[in-house]
Amino acid sequence: MNRTSGSAASICMKAVDGSAPWYRRGRKYIVIYRSVVMENIQYVVNIAMGFLSYFIINFVMINLWDYMYGTSGEAIAGYGKEQMIWYVMITEMIWFGARGATVARQVSTDIRNGNIVYMVNKPYYYPFYVMAKYTGEWSVQLPMYAGLAVVMGMAMVGRLPGFRAAALPAVILCVILGITINAGFKLCISLLSFWIEDAHPFQWLYDKLILVIGVIFPIEIFPEKLQPFFRLTPIYTVCYGPAKLVVDFSGEKCMEILCAQLLYVLAGGILIYLVYRKGVKKLYVNGG
Amino acid sequence: MLTAVKNQLWVCLLSVKYNIMREMTNRFTFVTNIVFMMLNNAAFIVQWVILFKMRGEIGGYTMREIMLLWGLTASSYGLSHILFARAFTLHELIVNGKLDAYLVLPKSVLLSVMTSASEASSIGDFLYGLVVMCLFCFSVGRLFLFLLFTVTGALIMTALALLAGSLSFWFVRSEMVGVHVVNTMISFSTYPDGIFHGTARFLLYFVIPVGMAVYWPVHVMVSFDLAMFLKVVGYTVFLMAAAVYVFYRGLKRYSSGNLMEARM
Repeated sequence: MNRTSGSAASICMKAVDGSAPWYRRGRKYIVIYRSVVMENIQYVVNIAMGFLSYFIINFVMINLWDYMYGTSGEAIAGYGKEQMIWYVMITEMIWFGARGATVARQVSTDIRNGNIVYMVNKPYYYPFYVMAKYTGEWSVQLPMYAGLAVVMGMAMVGRLPGFRAAALPAVILCVILGITINAGFKLCISLLSFWIEDAHPFQWLYDKLILVIGVIFPIEIFPEKLQPFFRLTPIYTVCYGPAKLVVDFSGEKCMEILCAQLLYVLAGGILIYLVYRKGVKKLYVNGG
Repeated sequence: MLTAVKNQLWVCLLSVKYNIMREMTNRFTFVTNIVFMMLNNAAFIVQWVILFKMRGEIGGYTMREIMLLWGLTASSYGLSHILFARAFTLHELIVNGKLDAYLVLPKSVLLSVMTSASEASSIGDFLYGLVVMCLFCFSVGRLFLFLLFTVTGALIMTALALLAGSLSFWFVRSEMVGVHVVNTMISFSTYPDGIFHGTARFLLYFVIPVGMAVYWPVHVMVSFDLAMFLKVVGYTVFLMAAAVYVFYRGLKRYSSGNLMEARM
């Protein structure tokens, strides 16, 4: 039985491009990203087949909120009916458009079946490789879902009152950061497979927390005592923040969300580094 | 005849037993899968608590009925994936030519295929449904009905998956149909039918059989209606018979692959 450690992998990496400046070292991830984008573009029809599930969920949500608002149309937690439905459609769009098997399943599977052994000694840092691959996946999927969300929203709900097109660049930045934070946490959970055989159950729980607290409802709908707590969780930065900016944009809110997201990107990065470094030392390679 | 049926059932039970034993090889993973699936389902209670704070009833349902709806959906889904998980990935076997191994077995091809896999996490779904039912609206009669409707619900879901999976005998790229049909059914079945109107309501009862699998059974459990009860049972028998017929019709078109692999 051999044993591969993180240091062996990093020695190998340094041997290949250890002396190169950081921007040159980053180029290989751009190449990985580009190849995944090209690959995904070949399968746009397969991606489009997933539209049906998105349509059904939105259809259910539109019916639910139609019923909840009734004929009075009174605001709920400060959201009008159109705002609430658009909020859910945006969060579902992020949920569907950025769901990637790479961070949720491939990492776990790589660790479980030993495939990771062939990856840790390649001239790239495995978590960066996974993130580049995942980014390539959602770069194709998300715009397609965004297009569908706009078409569905305009056809079934109507124009979003108070929407500011000028805020779109800030919103897009928030969406990208939110997806990256989410991917970081999902990657950390997947890396738990170094210790336990199957990390999927932890993924389910994390997903459901995001889904129930951030996707289906805006944070304002929860009791006031719980709201400050939710604002400290990733939920605030992953789903709520970007969708809130779409339905009710304000410069102050945007800055607050961006700052929170940057802090989470930093914290997520450190967490990935620590978990991966510790996990890869536990890696045993069975011959065969 | 009776002995043959008994033998076939015995083989199916043994198959499921060995599937579960295989899943139990790693005890920790097996238990985490079950417990976390239950917690995963329980997360949605928060959603309904919030919604019921806004309105006393939603689509004619109170919290008790919604929990019954959730419980029945979870248990039906769980049972179908404990006993017949392979029916939900039938297209893979057909497209990859992996049905060969089942064709040479001296028992029913369809039952051998369907019972050849089980999902550990589905045990969590099944148990969650039972726990929810017992916590929110327990009575002996209702428990009996719940178990019976769990079986009909599981059979309806399986039949639907079989019908969709059998399409692969005719169309190679039909795998997404099966995935969407089951997902659609699950998406609708966890929301009360009273919030849907017009065409959507018609579709729920007559095209995607959520009405027969979940809505009507919940109505029967809340206030017993013999006619509704018989319709659900009759529909289950009809759909299952249709699925079996379509599968065997399709099987005649099946062409073997040249894949060689060891099955252990």
